[in-house]
Amino acid sequence: MKQFWAFVFSFLSFVAVADQTPSPSWQAPLANKSLLLDITTAGADRLVAVGEYGHVLLSTDGENWQQANVPVTSTLTAVYFINSQKGWAVGHDASILQTTDGGATWSIQQFFPHLEKPLLDVVFKDELNGLAIGAYGMFYRTQDGGNTWIKEFHEEFLFQEDIDYLNELKQEDEEAYLDERSSILPHFNRITMDGRTLYMVGEIGLIAKSNDFGKSWQPFDEIYQGSFFDLERTRKGNLLVVGLRGNAFRSLRNGAPWQAVDTETQALLNSIVLTDTNLLYILGNSGVLLSSEDDGQTFTHHPQADGKALIAGTVFHGKLIVVSDVGIKTITIFK
Amino acid sequence: MNSESVINRIEVGIFRHRLTVLFLFLATTIFLAYQASQIRLDASFIKNIPLNHSYMKTYLKHQENFGGANNILISVCNKDGDIFNEEFFTSLKGVHDQLFFIPGVDRIQVKSLYSPSTRFVEVVEDGFAGGPVIPADFKPDERGLAIVKSNIEKAGIVGRTISDDYTCAMVQSSLMDIDPSTGKKLDTISLANQLEDQIRSQYEKGNISIHIIGFAKMVGDVALGAKGVVAFFGIAIAITALMVFFFSKSFKLTLLPIFCSLVTVVWQMGMLTVIGFGLDPMSILVPFLVFAIGVSHAVQMINSVKKLVNQGYSAKESAQFSFRTLLVPGMVALLSDTVGFLTLLSIDIGVIRELAITASLGVAMIILTNLILLPVLISYMSLSKDSEEQLEKNKNIEVWKKLAVFATPKAAKVILSITAMLFVAGAYYSQQMKIGELHAGAPALHEDSRYNQDTFLITDKYAITVDYISVIVEAYPNACTSHETLAVMDEFQWKMENVPGVDSAISLASVAKIVNAGYNEGNPKWRSLSRNQQSLVQSISRVPTSSGLLDRNCSVMPVILFLEDHKAETINRVVDKVKLYASELNNEQLQFKLASGPVGVMAATNEAVEAAQLPMMIYVYAAVIVLCLISFRSVRATISVVLPLYVVSTLAQWLMTKLDIGLTVSTLPVIALGVGIGVDYGIYILSTMATRLRNGDTVYNAYLAALTERGSAVLITGVTLAIGVSTWFFSDLKFQVDMGILMTFMFLVNMLAAIVVLPALASILWREKK
Repeated sequence: MKQFWAFVFSFLSFVAVADQTPSPSWQAPLANKSLLLDITTAGADRLVAVGEYGHVLLSTDGENWQQANVPVTSTLTAVYFINSQKGWAVGHDASILQTTDGGATWSIQQFFPHLEKPLLDVVFKDELNGLAIGAYGMFYRTQDGGNTWIKEFHEEFLFQEDIDYLNELKQEDEEAYLDERSSILPHFNRITMDGRTLYMVGEIGLIAKSNDFGKSWQPFDEIYQGSFFDLERTRKGNLLVVGLRGNAFRSLRNGAPWQAVDTETQALLNSIVLTDTNLLYILGNSGVLLSSEDDGQTFTHHPQADGKALIAGTVFHGKLIVVSDVGIKTITIFK
Repeated sequence: MNSESVINRIEVGIFRHRLTVLFLFLATTIFLAYQASQIRLDASFIKNIPLNHSYMKTYLKHQENFGGANNILISVCNKDGDIFNEEFFTSLKGVHDQLFFIPGVDRIQVKSLYSPSTRFVEVVEDGFAGGPVIPADFKPDERGLAIVKSNIEKAGIVGRTISDDYTCAMVQSSLMDIDPSTGKKLDTISLANQLEDQIRSQYEKGNISIHIIGFAKMVGDVALGAKGVVAFFGIAIAITALMVFFFSKSFKLTLLPIFCSLVTVVWQMGMLTVIGFGLDPMSILVPFLVFAIGVSHAVQMINSVKKLVNQGYSAKESAQFSFRTLLVPGMVALLSDTVGFLTLLSIDIGVIRELAITASLGVAMIILTNLILLPVLISYMSLSKDSEEQLEKNKNIEVWKKLAVFATPKAAKVILSITAMLFVAGAYYSQQMKIGELHAGAPALHEDSRYNQDTFLITDKYAITVDYISVIVEAYPNACTSHETLAVMDEFQWKMENVPGVDSAISLASVAKIVNAGYNEGNPKWRSLSRNQQSLVQSISRVPTSSGLLDRNCSVMPVILFLEDHKAETINRVVDKVKLYASELNNEQLQFKLASGPVGVMAATNEAVEAAQLPMMIYVYAAVIVLCLISFRSVRATISVVLPLYVVSTLAQWLMTKLDIGLTVSTLPVIALGVGIGVDYGIYILSTMATRLRNGDTVYNAYLAALTERGSAVLITGVTLAIGVSTWFFSDLKFQVDMGILMTFMFLVNMLAAIVVLPALASILWREKK
């Protein structure tokens, strides 16, 4: 009897995290040449990249890559490691995966294809507290290292008239209300931790900060109505945000208003890569690679000949390792 | 004996009514010569593919929707700089418009920078913006060109419509099987000529160069090269005449065989027109072959006549007697040639079947012209004896005695053990013989031909390649609106992209992913198949049916795999993997079916050729064995003839392996032809031997008699045939060179085998009778 209940319990708990059994990722010889969407370091000596078809790739030298065992084939959009062993990856089908062995094997913490939405970023404050964000304001929080993920709805990103509209709808038609609620928020594209402050950027010019690890958010005044894809605090302590159609803005630490930066490109800018020095890079679609040594005031172009989208990057052993829609690229910049 | 009396009756019938016979031949020749003058070169795509192969059934079923494999690609290039100048755009527009108006070109499928379907799309804050790459008000001035340049970048057509280095632009279309203006089968060769006249010669000037590839152009170039064959034909006739003269030392006896053999060719060509065939460039060599075979049999005839004349008989008596002795072996030999060719009918590829019919028709004609017309003509000649001195020389008796040693058991052991070793080596290496084309470019043409150079230029400058195979996904109406269907296609595509030899791939699934990212501001993180049906439909709706990635009701969608090359190994590897993954992924609603695209056709052809090889060999050997058994009524004689033949076939396969000649539509027939023709030598030699052996003579004596009687004729025949086909080495067409090499080998080595191995075998087989 005890065993029976154990079985039922395990079954129920399984249902809670996944509404269907996904198929595991296929070991592909060309995985490191597939669409890869995020890259990070796990500890000092290991690179982890994630992308299409549930690909997770590991490398200790930036040249040779091994494909990890991943239980899903969903496109993974972001990866975050809290230390050299423990990390999380999120992606389409609202998937959340966890590793405790430095990325070699992964287990499912959440898999909800029925939501039909991707998660787009993940961040952890410590081994227990983390956030996963995504399309249409999708927002999950865990306080137990990912064993349970609780959904949150952040009304503070709605205009007053949207809130009124939702309340009205709730009275009239519960189903329509839930449907509307699940798609009324803008996409949350990126979440960045800066000390105790969290920054989040997204659709419709969304830039917001939180001082309580995402419980409450203060949206910034709108400076642009397109999407933002990354925000970083530079080595000099200023904020740099990048987005659609070559748009980039700086906000100085003295609190002066955002200033537009001329990037001389129309391409979508995917991410900002900081280095140990004042040098920073911006990666964009159409092979756009910008570098700046003056804290993002002016940029030098290093167009990549193949014109492929550069999506995320990290500096590893002095080299810029970038993921693109044709996989891993090691970029050497000739000055 | 019964057969003897039949032959007698025929002989008497013919030689009593010589004038009637001649008149009949004359009338027939005039009629067929007229017919032959009407012959046309005839090539079509459909003839080159194995129509009943399962891949090709899939191909034909979906040809209407996806244009099939019969495409024309025209790359317009600037030799001096990039495309952004007025001269270039004027030429490009000219080529586009000109191609559009050539009959047989599928106008809907004509694509270039100038086609309205070449559009760019860009993401802006509030959605998409887009338009045709070349705007309606385009003028090739600095401003206009700058706009086009930026549109090209946005449209993502570099590598397809524009070369990677911006020095060339592509105009392409697919061709129809039926010319709509005439309602008849598309005349591929005339289309190729129009491409040459109306496009290349019009627009290739100054800095502009025009590079045209595609099956139709290839056939046009092959036809052009095939015309060069006429020159070889002349050379072959001249060499043959010299050889025959050297042999006969008589002007008349040289002229007659050549004349009769030419009559055969005329008859054959005439017959083709009568039965409604044209001459395919692929089988243009057949008249050659028929001529050569004709001469070789004629040589036997004049050999016999000469011997009789020298014994003091009159020309008429000699002709009549030669007719009687040669009718049976000649018939048997020619019938086995005919049957050898006819076995090719078992191969389900139009051109090979045509070759079979063309060739067997020709050889059957030889029975009439060289076994009947020739002796009748000879009978009218006045032939003189050779001088005594010459006679002595002609006997060559010392030479023959030396050669006759092959028929002694002692020599036989050595010969047979060497033969056995060669056979083992041949059998071992022939296992490695490759099926299909082993070289890049169009295999029918040389690597340095204009066509192949153009192919290399295009594959080099563009991301596209002509070596692609389409795997057709057959599903249900509106299948493309289902995430499940597209996800399975996507998985299949990704797995295939991982197969070595596959350069890249495209399908509705992969395009839908890119469009989905486009709908999400171009953010690569959204480059996936949306699970949301509305989003998915939205993505799919941006892909027009003219893309060739889906049909009208969206139930059939190809996954197009671009390959590194079309070498047999690559094709096999890819096809095997397609079968493997298809078997994993097929379900009730959706099936992956092979295949369309040029490489799909090649895969089917390779499989058809491979499948045909064994049955063809079995049929041709069965035919030869049966004919030998009938004519010799002896198992031992049959073994003596057929075994050397088999060894030589095996060695020919070894040669193919060594020379990197693959087993293809053009080389497969050579094996059957080689066996069919190679058997002649053995039959002629053994027919003399068999009579002697039956009378209790020793093998040595029988062989010596055969050599004295037929030896020089056999040698001359082998050399004549070999020289005739060896002129093909200099052909503009690669496949003719390959066929030439193999034929020359088959003719020479079969002759050697008949002279060396056959008597050795006979000496062992008839040993106890001594």
